[in-house]
Amino acid sequence: MKAFFETFKHDTWVMPYLRKYKKLLALTLFLGLMTFFCGSALMFNSGYLISKAARHPYNILMIYVPIVLTRAFGIGRPAFRYAERITSHNWVLRIVSDFRKKLYQAVAKHAVAIRQNFQTGDVLSILADDIDHIENLYLRTVFPTVIAWLMYLMIVIALGYFSWWFGLLMLLMLGLIIIAMPLWSVLINGARESQSRKIQQTFYTQLTDAVMGLGDWLISGRKTDFYDRQTAPIDEIARLRRADHRFQWWRDFTIQLLFGIICLALLIWSSFYWTTNQASANWIAAFVLSVFPLVDAFQSVSQGVSEWPSYQRSIRRVNALDTTPVDETDQTVLTEQFSGLRVADLDFQYEAGTRPIFKKLNLSLAAGEKLALLGPSGTGKSTLLKLILGDLTPTSGSIQLNDVPISRLQNERAKLFGVLDQQPYLFNTSIMNNVRMGNPDATDAQVKAALKAVELAPLIEGLPDQYETVVEEGGARFSGGERQRIALARILLQDAPIIILDEPTVSLDPITESHLLATVFRVLQDKTILWVTHHLAGINYVDQVRFLEAGAFDMAGTPQELYATAPRFKRLYDLDQGHDEV
Amino acid sequence: MFDPALFKLPGMRRLTVILALLAVVEGICIIIQAQFLSVAIVGLWHLKSLATILQPMLIFAIAWTGRQLLVVFKNWLMYPIVEKTSGKMRRQVMQKLYQLGPSYVAKTGTGNVVTTALEGIDKVQTYLMLVVIKVIDMMVIPWVILVYIAWLRWREALFLLAIFPLIILFMIILGYAAQAKADKQYVGYQRLSNHFVDTLRGLPTLKQLGLSKQYAHNVYQVSEGYRKQTMAVIKVAMLSTFALDFFTTLSIAVVAVFLGFGLINGTITLLPALVILVLSPDYFLPLRTFASDYHATLNGKNAFADVQKMLALPVPTDRDQLGEQPLAWQADSTLSLKQVDFSYDDQQPALKQLDLVAKGYQRIGIIGASGSGKSTLINLLGGFLSPMPGHGTIEVNGQPVSHLGQTAWQQSFFYIPQNPYLFHASLAENIAFYQPQAGLSAIGQAAEKAGLTAWIKTLPDGLNTQIGEGARGVSGGQAQRIALARAFLDDSRKILLFDEPTAHLDIETEAELKQTILPVFEHHLVFFATHRLHWINQMDYVLVMDHGAIVEQGTPAELAAHNGAYGHLRDEMVGAI
Repeated sequence: MKAFFETFKHDTWVMPYLRKYKKLLALTLFLGLMTFFCGSALMFNSGYLISKAARHPYNILMIYVPIVLTRAFGIGRPAFRYAERITSHNWVLRIVSDFRKKLYQAVAKHAVAIRQNFQTGDVLSILADDIDHIENLYLRTVFPTVIAWLMYLMIVIALGYFSWWFGLLMLLMLGLIIIAMPLWSVLINGARESQSRKIQQTFYTQLTDAVMGLGDWLISGRKTDFYDRQTAPIDEIARLRRADHRFQWWRDFTIQLLFGIICLALLIWSSFYWTTNQASANWIAAFVLSVFPLVDAFQSVSQGVSEWPSYQRSIRRVNALDTTPVDETDQTVLTEQFSGLRVADLDFQYEAGTRPIFKKLNLSLAAGEKLALLGPSGTGKSTLLKLILGDLTPTSGSIQLNDVPISRLQNERAKLFGVLDQQPYLFNTSIMNNVRMGNPDATDAQVKAALKAVELAPLIEGLPDQYETVVEEGGARFSGGERQRIALARILLQDAPIIILDEPTVSLDPITESHLLATVFRVLQDKTILWVTHHLAGINYVDQVRFLEAGAFDMAGTPQELYATAPRFKRLYDLDQGHDEV
Repeated sequence: MFDPALFKLPGMRRLTVILALLAVVEGICIIIQAQFLSVAIVGLWHLKSLATILQPMLIFAIAWTGRQLLVVFKNWLMYPIVEKTSGKMRRQVMQKLYQLGPSYVAKTGTGNVVTTALEGIDKVQTYLMLVVIKVIDMMVIPWVILVYIAWLRWREALFLLAIFPLIILFMIILGYAAQAKADKQYVGYQRLSNHFVDTLRGLPTLKQLGLSKQYAHNVYQVSEGYRKQTMAVIKVAMLSTFALDFFTTLSIAVVAVFLGFGLINGTITLLPALVILVLSPDYFLPLRTFASDYHATLNGKNAFADVQKMLALPVPTDRDQLGEQPLAWQADSTLSLKQVDFSYDDQQPALKQLDLVAKGYQRIGIIGASGSGKSTLINLLGGFLSPMPGHGTIEVNGQPVSHLGQTAWQQSFFYIPQNPYLFHASLAENIAFYQPQAGLSAIGQAAEKAGLTAWIKTLPDGLNTQIGEGARGVSGGQAQRIALARAFLDDSRKILLFDEPTAHLDIETEAELKQTILPVFEHHLVFFATHRLHWINQMDYVLVMDHGAIVEQGTPAELAAHNGAYGHLRDEMVGAI
C-alpha cells in the first residue's frame, strides 16, 4: 500500500491527465456505468414484468411500461457499451498524444547521451512500450475498477434505502468481491511478480545467449549442455505459470461462490421484506435476477487490479525521466563570422573522484583549418566532441568560439556545427524530406543540387520514385556509404561553418571509405573540420593530426611531419597502406 | 475455428471427449440451478414462508457450486496437457534451433527468433488454454439449455435457436467490414505507429540539425493523426461486438416480453417462464466469452502456426560423414572444393564455381570488395551454409562430404568473426567455453597469451567478472582477445576461420592485436577474410573474390607480380584510384 502511494508521490504522468480532459473522462465513466446499469436493469425489469404478468392483470396496459422499459434497456446496454468503448479509447489515445510529446521532450534534453548510452535504441523502445502500457492501465484497470465501484455504491445505497441492514450486508459482501479480492490478487501477484521477472530474465538471457552464440554452441559440440541449459528455466517458468493459473481459478471460484451467497441472501431478505402482499412480491424476481449481469463486471476487477505491479514499473520508469524545462537565460548569439575555436587548459572528469579524462588540454582551430583526431578507443575522443558541442561542461578551463563560451551558444548550435557521425539517422520518409531537414527553407532545386554535389544524383534518378523514394526504417533502403552521402547532403544544406566528422567511415569497407572521404573533403573544402577517425586512410586531406593518449595529445603535427619524424605514426600509416614488415 | 493441428497433440482427443461430457454436466447444473432458483422465487411470489423454500435454495446452492467446481475441474484437466505441450514445444524449438544453426538466425533475425521462442510460445499456451474449453463449451452448453427450454415451451426455444446463427452471421459480416477498413488504412497506420520510435531514435540527429524543439509539435500532430485513424478503425471494429451485444440483450428482452404476453394469456405459468428467463443469458454466455477472447485466440493461433512452421523446416542431414570424433588436422591433411556453387534462394548463385585446395598448415587470405562473397565463403567453410546439392564436390582428406556442417569438421576449427559473441557469464567461463572442464590456471595462461592480463587486473573480480549482455561492457579489441584466448586454451583445433576480425577496430588497437594473433597462425590451417591489406603480408596464399567467384588465387608474390584483379583491388583500397 505504501509502495502504491510512493509511486504517485511525484507522479507527473498519470494523475495530471486524469484531471486534464475531465469532461471526456466523466463521460466515459458515465457510459460505463450506464452499460452495467442497463444490463442489470434489463433483468430486473424482465423479472418484474413476468411476475406482474403472471398475476393476470385485467388490462395489458398494466404491464405496458415494463415492456417498453425492457426493450429500452435491451437496446440501451449494447448502445452504451459501444459508446463507452469508443469514448474510452478516444480519451486514452488523446492522452497518448500528450504522453508522446512529453516523452519526446524529456528524451530530447538528453538526446546526445542517449545515442551514446543506448546505441541500439532498446531503451527508447522500452519507453515507448511503457506509454502503451499506461494506456492499458486506464483501459484494463482504472476504468473497469472505477465503474464497478460506482455501481457498487449505487447498489448499496439503493438497497440501503429499502432496509439499512441489508444495504450494510451488501456493502460487506460486494465489498469482498471488488475490494478485498482485488487487494488479495495484487498482493499475491506482487509477491510473485518479482520472482517471475527474475526467471523470465534468466530465460531471456539464456535464450539470447543461445540464439546469438549459436555458432559457438554448434562448433563447440556442447549439444547436451545447450539443451540442459534451456531446460531449467523452462521448468521454472512452467511451475510459475501453474501457480498463477491455480490462483486465478480459485479466485474466480471464490468470487462466484460469493455471488451464489448473495443470491441466497437476497432470497432470504425478500422472504422478510417483500412478502407482505402480492404487489410487492412481484419485485422478488426482479431483485434476484438483477444480480447475474453484475458477475461479469465485478469479476474482471480482480484481474485488472492484479496487473498493477507491471504497470507500476512502467509508471516509475517514466516518472524517473527528467522533465524539468531547460534553463535558457544567458544564451547569446555569435555576432561576427566564425573565426576560430579554442580549447584552453581543459580539465574534465565525469564525476568528482573518478578518473580524469583530460588534463590541461589545449587545442585551437582557425576558420578553414582541418584537423584529424586519433587515439585508441576509450581515450576520450567522443567526450572531447561532446565538450566542444556543449553537451558536457568542462570541469575547468574553457571552450570558446571567437571568445564566446560554447555554453552560451547552445541555441545557435545548428547554425554553427554540422555533424556527420557513425550512423547518421535517416527518417522514414522521402529522400527529399530527409535532406531538406538540413534547411527547411531550401528549394527543391537546392536540395537536388546538394544531392548532386555528393554524387548521388545518378543513383536517385535511376530509382522509380526518384527524389520521392522513401528511405525506409533507419535508411534501410540504402547502403552504408549511400546513407552517409545523404546525410552529407543534409549537412551541405545546413551550411554551418564548423563540421564535426565523428568516425563517419567506421562501418564502411576501404573502397567505399576512400570514395566517401574524397567527396567529403571536396564538398567541405571551405569549412573548418574536426575529424575523429579510427585509422589513417585519407589522413592527407587534413592540415593537422593529433593523437590523444591518456588525457593529453602525445603526437601533433602535419601528416607529412609526423611521417618523417614519428616512427609510431609511420608504422601505423604503413599498416594502413597495406605494408607490414614484421 | 478449431485448428486441426490441435487434435494431433497427444492426449487431446481423449480430453476433448471428457471435456464435452463435462460440458453436458455443466449444462445440466445450469438448468438445475435455474430451475430451483425459480422454484424459490415463485414460492416467495406465492407469499409462502422462508421455511418452504429452504429445500430449493439448498439445491440451487449445490448446483451453483457444482457448476463453478466444474469450471475449475475442466481447467485442471486441461492444464497439464497445455503445460506439457508448451514445455515440449519450447524444447523442440531449442533443438531445432541447434540443428538449423546460425544461418537461420541471420536470415530470420535474432529478435524474431527470441520472440518466437519466448512470447510466441506464451501465446500458444494462452491459446490452448482458452480455445479448447471455450469452443467445446460453445458447442455443447447452449444446446443442452435449449433442449430444456424447448421442453418447457417450444416457441421461445425456436426464437433463441433462430437468433444464434444470425448473431454469428452479423459478427462475421461486420468482422470482414472492419478488416477491410483496417486493411485499407494499414499502411498509413503502421507508419504512424512506428513514427514515434523512429523520431526518438533520430533525436540526436534532430538536435544536430536544430529541429528538436519544433519537432515536439510534429510528434503531437502525428500522434493525433494516429488517434483519428485508429478511432475510425475502432468504430467499425467494435461494431461486431456491438452486434453480439445487441442481439443477445435484445433477445433476452424479446423473450421476456413474449413470456409476459404468454402469462397474460394464460398459456404459461410463472415457474417455466421464470426458468426460461433465467436460462436465456446462460444460453448466450459461452458465445460471449468465446468472442471476448477471440483476439487472444487469433494471436495464439498465428503464433502456433509460426512455431509449427519453424519446427517443419528442413535441416541438413548427413552430418556424420566424417565420423563423430573431432578431425585430427595434420601437416598433410587436405580440404578441396571443386566447382562448388552456393545459393541463398536456390536460384541465383551467391558463390560460383569455387575451386580451392587447402593443405596442412597453410595461411590463406581472402580479400575482395564488400559484397564480393568473403563472408559467405567463410560461412560455407564453417558449414553454416550448405552448397547447392549436385553442384561440385567437397572432399576432406579425400573423403567426399555433401557439406561442411560435419560434426567432426565443426569440432576441429575456431571461428572468429568481426564481433565475437560474449556469453552472459564470467570471463573465465567465456574463455573456457570450448573447454568447460579447463582449470583456472590454464585459463589464466590462455588469457596471458591473448594479452588480456593487464585488463583483467583492472577488473573487480578478475577472471570471475561477469561480462556479456547487460553486464560489464567489453571493447571490440578485448572481445577479439577473448576469442583468441579460446583458441590458445584449446590447441587440439587446428583450423582457424577469421571473418574480418579487425574491420571495426582503430588502427592502433589493430596493430597491437596483430602481434597477439600472429603466433596463433603457427601449426594451424588459417582462412583469413579481410579488407585490411597489411594482413596479406603474413599469408602464404591469397584468394581474390569478386561477385561470388574466386577471380584470382596464388601466393602474394605471384599475384603482385602480374597486374590482375589483386593489383587492381589493392590500388582501389588504398585510394590510389
